[in-house]
Amino acid sequence: MLKIDNLHARVEGDAGVVEILKGLSLGVPAGEVHAIMGPNGSGKSTLSHIIAGRDDYEVTAGSVNLSGEEILDLDPNERAAKGVFLSFQHPMEIPGVATMNFIRTALNAQRKARGEAEVSAADFLRLIREKTKLVGLTDEKLKRPFNVGFSGGEKKRMEMLQMAIFEPRFCIMDETDSGLDIDALKMVGDVVNSLRGPDRGFLVITHYQRLLEHIRPDHVHVLAGGRIVKSGGPELAAELEKSGYDQFIEAA
Amino acid sequence: MAAGLKDMPERALSAQLQATFSASKADPVRLAAFERFQKTGLPHRRVEGWRWSDLNAALRDFVPANDGVSPIPPSKFSALDPVEIQIVNGRIIRPTGTLPAGLHLDVIPASATIPDLEGNSVVSLTVAMITEALEIRVDAGVKLGQPILVRHIMQCGTMAFVQVAAHLGDGAEATIIETYEDIGAGQGGFYSSLFHSDICAGATLKRRMLQNTNADAVVHAMFAANLAGGAHLNQVGLSTGGRLSRHETLAQYVGSEASAELSSAALVDASRHADFTSKILHAASGCQTRQIHKGVARDKGRAVFQGKFDVQRVAQQTDAQMSADALLLSDTSEAYHKPELEIYADDVQCAHGSTSGALDDDAMFYLRQRGLDEEMARSLLIEAFLGEVIDNLEEGEAPVFRDAIALWLKGQGA
Repeated sequence: MLKIDNLHARVEGDAGVVEILKGLSLGVPAGEVHAIMGPNGSGKSTLSHIIAGRDDYEVTAGSVNLSGEEILDLDPNERAAKGVFLSFQHPMEIPGVATMNFIRTALNAQRKARGEAEVSAADFLRLIREKTKLVGLTDEKLKRPFNVGFSGGEKKRMEMLQMAIFEPRFCIMDETDSGLDIDALKMVGDVVNSLRGPDRGFLVITHYQRLLEHIRPDHVHVLAGGRIVKSGGPELAAELEKSGYDQFIEAA
Repeated sequence: MAAGLKDMPERALSAQLQATFSASKADPVRLAAFERFQKTGLPHRRVEGWRWSDLNAALRDFVPANDGVSPIPPSKFSALDPVEIQIVNGRIIRPTGTLPAGLHLDVIPASATIPDLEGNSVVSLTVAMITEALEIRVDAGVKLGQPILVRHIMQCGTMAFVQVAAHLGDGAEATIIETYEDIGAGQGGFYSSLFHSDICAGATLKRRMLQNTNADAVVHAMFAANLAGGAHLNQVGLSTGGRLSRHETLAQYVGSEASAELSSAALVDASRHADFTSKILHAASGCQTRQIHKGVARDKGRAVFQGKFDVQRVAQQTDAQMSADALLLSDTSEAYHKPELEIYADDVQCAHGSTSGALDDDAMFYLRQRGLDEEMARSLLIEAFLGEVIDNLEEGEAPVFRDAIALWLKGQGA
């Protein structure tokens, strides 16, 4: 479903041009959940932003292919309409933007781009009520400007709410577990497991094994130094928890 | 230093001003005002307070057209069922039909009610040129349910001067909506209005102002308010600018425990200019002022905000806050902000702040990742930026302002 081949990317910062991804290859077949683990600075967030279409990075080689279609030349909103969803590591607070109106506008923009009918106000209200309960947010939070005054955990719940509503084909979860308590971790697991299906893929980026106890991945990859340096089954996550990443930092 | 009328004899405008003034029978007040204007001429960028709004230059090539007659479309505020007064090219057209109890509308001789704003030569010119004024009076204790709508309508290319005087008796409440609009196919025009109001003890005036005129229009609107004890002024203004537009507010607390909430927005594109200038004079104790301004500029638009809080020695326990934010959407757009505090009392809380910047890249990416295309994401963030201004409007008023913003975002501001 998602096929990344020999991806090289760099970013221009204050310290000059920095190579972040150095020939990353990865395949996530439809119906599978893959986890990416790795030390800080290994390129995990860069990878998620490049798949979603952030233009701060320069892709110098390689390709990203979603269900047979190259997506690197598409705008972020075109990728979203094709089913790419990114759960942000640090979701934005956007003062002045009404939450319900924004989510409905986004949902309908995606549907319109796919040639699907818009969701009516009544149907949307039903949908968001149901999913709000699933992610453990109160209706009161929906009436606030988007994420304004939300705790870190509430912002992650808002990400999961959107994922549950949009039902994207390919979900990238960038450290969704960071800053979450046990109940919230279970909620994230519930949302992912409710969406799991033969036509959907997940890329779960995490530092820790904790979340993977709720979301059982099909494969685990270690990203270090801009490349996948090791892949394995779910047992790899447990092994990493014990041995740490030091071995890979040296290897990279 | 100023270019007086005598120094610019070649100008069509000065000849016409002189002719118009001479044709009317001027009383001593108007005569004195015209002499004051003649000494200084129109304000220009070397005059304090006019640095970013050169009225003299904006009118340099202006040749006033004869006023014509064009059909007047219904107001965008019609849904509020207002008491509507049209002022067309300076002529006051009173509404037909019965007025709500406690509201009086009259056309009075102008010089009877001229406030003292001698430092401003546009005001002097306006005082000199007008012969009659619209008077709005609301009796003490009367809370008007219907808003009063004053439509300043200019035929494109003409020149007009207008005066409005409002008096709200003790405890009265009224909403006055002013629109600046133009009709006819031409471009340009020069419109100057002077609106003086007395808000008596415990009374509340809600003033709404919406300017949507052609790109070459020059509009100067002075609003002055005297607030007695416990009086309240709530003001929301939005202008999409013109060749030059300046909306000035001069509020004065003469009684204690009075308050004002002032919010304004300038939306400028093309080569348009919009200036919001204000001075709030705190001359009594325990008064509260809240002021916010938002400027959004794209293309070569220029947004100007000059806000001043003057706190006199007697004005102890003043609580006054001002903020002005600018959003610049292009490299060639400009925003000039000048927040000022002048404080002579020692027991006060006063603050001001000003920011400027472009749209947030992170927020743009977030919205686009959720499926919004670039234009939708941009519009949503600009509307959000202006949200605080709109939040101060009543239900029913807000949609008209939102529509004006939406039209501007689509590049169809006027």
